[in-house]
Amino acid sequence: MDFEWDEEQRAFRDGLQAFLDETLPDDWEEFSKHGPASPALTEFARGFCGKLAENGMLFPHWPVAMGGQGLGPWHQQILAEVMWEAGEPRGGQYMNVNWIGPTMERYGSEAQKATYLPPITSGKALWCQGFSEPDSGSDLASLRTRAVRDGDVYRVNGQKIWTSYAGLADTCFLLTRTSDDKKRGITILLVPMDTPGITVRQIPSLIGEGDIHEVFFDDVVVPIGQRLGEEGQAWEIIGFSLTNERLGIPRFHLARAALDRAVAMLQARGQFSREAVRIEAARCAALCEAARNASYAIVQKRVDGLKIGAESSSARYATVMCERAVGEFVVEFLPEALAGGSAFLQMHHQRGIVAGIAAGAAEIQLNIIASHVLELPREPR
Amino acid sequence: MDLAISEDQRQILDAIDSLAKPYAAVPLHDTGFALVSDALDAELAENGFLDVMAMELGAATAVLVVERLARLPFALEAAATALVRPLLDPELPRPLCLIEEGSWRAPLRFLKPGATVVVVGDGGVRSFTAGAEHIRNAGDEVLFAYPMAYLTVLPSEMRSHDVSADVVRAAWRVGLAAEAAGLLAGALASTVTYISERKQFGRPLATFQALRHRMAEAQVLTNGVYWLALKAASSGDAGDAALAALHAQEAAKRVTYDFHQFLGAMGMTLEHPLHLWTYRLKALTSELGGRGEQALAAAEAIWG
Repeated sequence: MDFEWDEEQRAFRDGLQAFLDETLPDDWEEFSKHGPASPALTEFARGFCGKLAENGMLFPHWPVAMGGQGLGPWHQQILAEVMWEAGEPRGGQYMNVNWIGPTMERYGSEAQKATYLPPITSGKALWCQGFSEPDSGSDLASLRTRAVRDGDVYRVNGQKIWTSYAGLADTCFLLTRTSDDKKRGITILLVPMDTPGITVRQIPSLIGEGDIHEVFFDDVVVPIGQRLGEEGQAWEIIGFSLTNERLGIPRFHLARAALDRAVAMLQARGQFSREAVRIEAARCAALCEAARNASYAIVQKRVDGLKIGAESSSARYATVMCERAVGEFVVEFLPEALAGGSAFLQMHHQRGIVAGIAAGAAEIQLNIIASHVLELPREPR
Repeated sequence: MDLAISEDQRQILDAIDSLAKPYAAVPLHDTGFALVSDALDAELAENGFLDVMAMELGAATAVLVVERLARLPFALEAAATALVRPLLDPELPRPLCLIEEGSWRAPLRFLKPGATVVVVGDGGVRSFTAGAEHIRNAGDEVLFAYPMAYLTVLPSEMRSHDVSADVVRAAWRVGLAAEAAGLLAGALASTVTYISERKQFGRPLATFQALRHRMAEAQVLTNGVYWLALKAASSGDAGDAALAALHAQEAAKRVTYDFHQFLGAMGMTLEHPLHLWTYRLKALTSELGGRGEQALAAAEAIWG
């Protein structure tokens, strides 16, 4: 066992950091504080990701056959940590390199690959994920946005909600219902966001600018060539996507960075000597590092090619715990950070609430742990 | 970075499982607060399982051993022997009893004549072999699931060890976290079994979400303690050790009452074995000054 990054991994991290130091503007923290979905950051990301691509830093973890460097899951982890600690200058494009690209490679037609992979690999594409609906949140498979076959096209009617990046995205990775079979009746359509009949409304949010939206589909016409995989194959494809994105964003790393930043601010003003403050800070650090190592254990399984099961939910929940603890620490001991006193801590605090809600609510993670890690008998349905 | 268990480590754990198999089940109805087995203790020691760190297999391997053994219902002194003894003298007689200078009035786990008492303090690290004259039996009043006794006096002459108190405290914290991880896992498993079988309102208790979510949270904490203990053993860093011990004591506090609660009235009995794990966890929560002291030690190591 070895819990240290090796020399090559450290060099990779240092190289990324050096690139960020060179590339990000001087007022970056202030600029990026409204989160990766803000219009300003989204626009910035198109240029920034292009430069990452030119320097081989956009998707180095992809297999060589896909044009990557085959560096694998640890490098993907390092890349994600460095970027999130820097306020995610890739904007929403992190989704492209984490799962949309690999999913396209695995399930896309030749025409789809030719259309969608080049903008991803050149750092220009922005996708949104049309998953949740007003009546289908945690119970995603109950979704009702309907795609009805009409000759060579589907006509799509329905509504999505909480869709990140929808306001500025080029393309939607859209889950639609094509039959009544709950899971096998779901089909993925790749829908250009400028297709007539799509209306996007931004939802004012606590978590940053431009992050969540409602998306309405009113008789939207989508050619059958825009279907990813077969009709009814969506659940399987999403399952594949999740193997590339099981852990999601490395929030434990951002939380630990926020904690260290908060402590440094308190130290600078001579307010880190009180035991009450020090004890709480250490509790936060323990939660962050517990989440980190539980998450790294999952990455290790990916490296070893092992099946990743419900234990990823345990790491996810540990991450929720540390996000909340660090958020509470700042609220309790550095309230001015949430009132203009620190762009970085403000960004962290705004994003922190997302941890237990997005990409599978914390309670769903607990359900999964109960059923599949502890193997408790299932609840009656 | 490599968090996978090595082939050597897996073989050691398999060997422990096989050796400990006769001790995995609890003899119901004839246990008091603590369950001990001299035979199991002797077998483990003779087969070298407590010396894996001294045998150059590394502190992380010692953590794996301690964690695995703590899942057993039997209380046995493994953590101090496996993680602290190699730093002092691998030949020190077992069991080892660790105390902080100045807090020797607390009851001491495993203290008995012949045990090595290790005193850790600002004056350094010293030890002595306990004799009957140093010990007061705690009688039947002990509510912890360890054999415990009181030190009545420290001898004027003790052996000094050429190792810093901070290094010993760090190893102590790693051992504490490793043992707590196993105890948490054992208590969790015991509770899982009970609530999966016990039915009320026509269905297993485990099907009620009020219990499921708290059980799942206990799993998350248990997993966290396990990985923090391994991380701390692997890095040898004082801050990592303090974080591991802190998280262990936090987790112990968080889950112990819950587990008994979930057993209902059965959780009040000595007939159910749950207390064999939880009442050891209770004892561990006071070690090294408790959570606050681990937190302060962590803060000092991390941020100065």
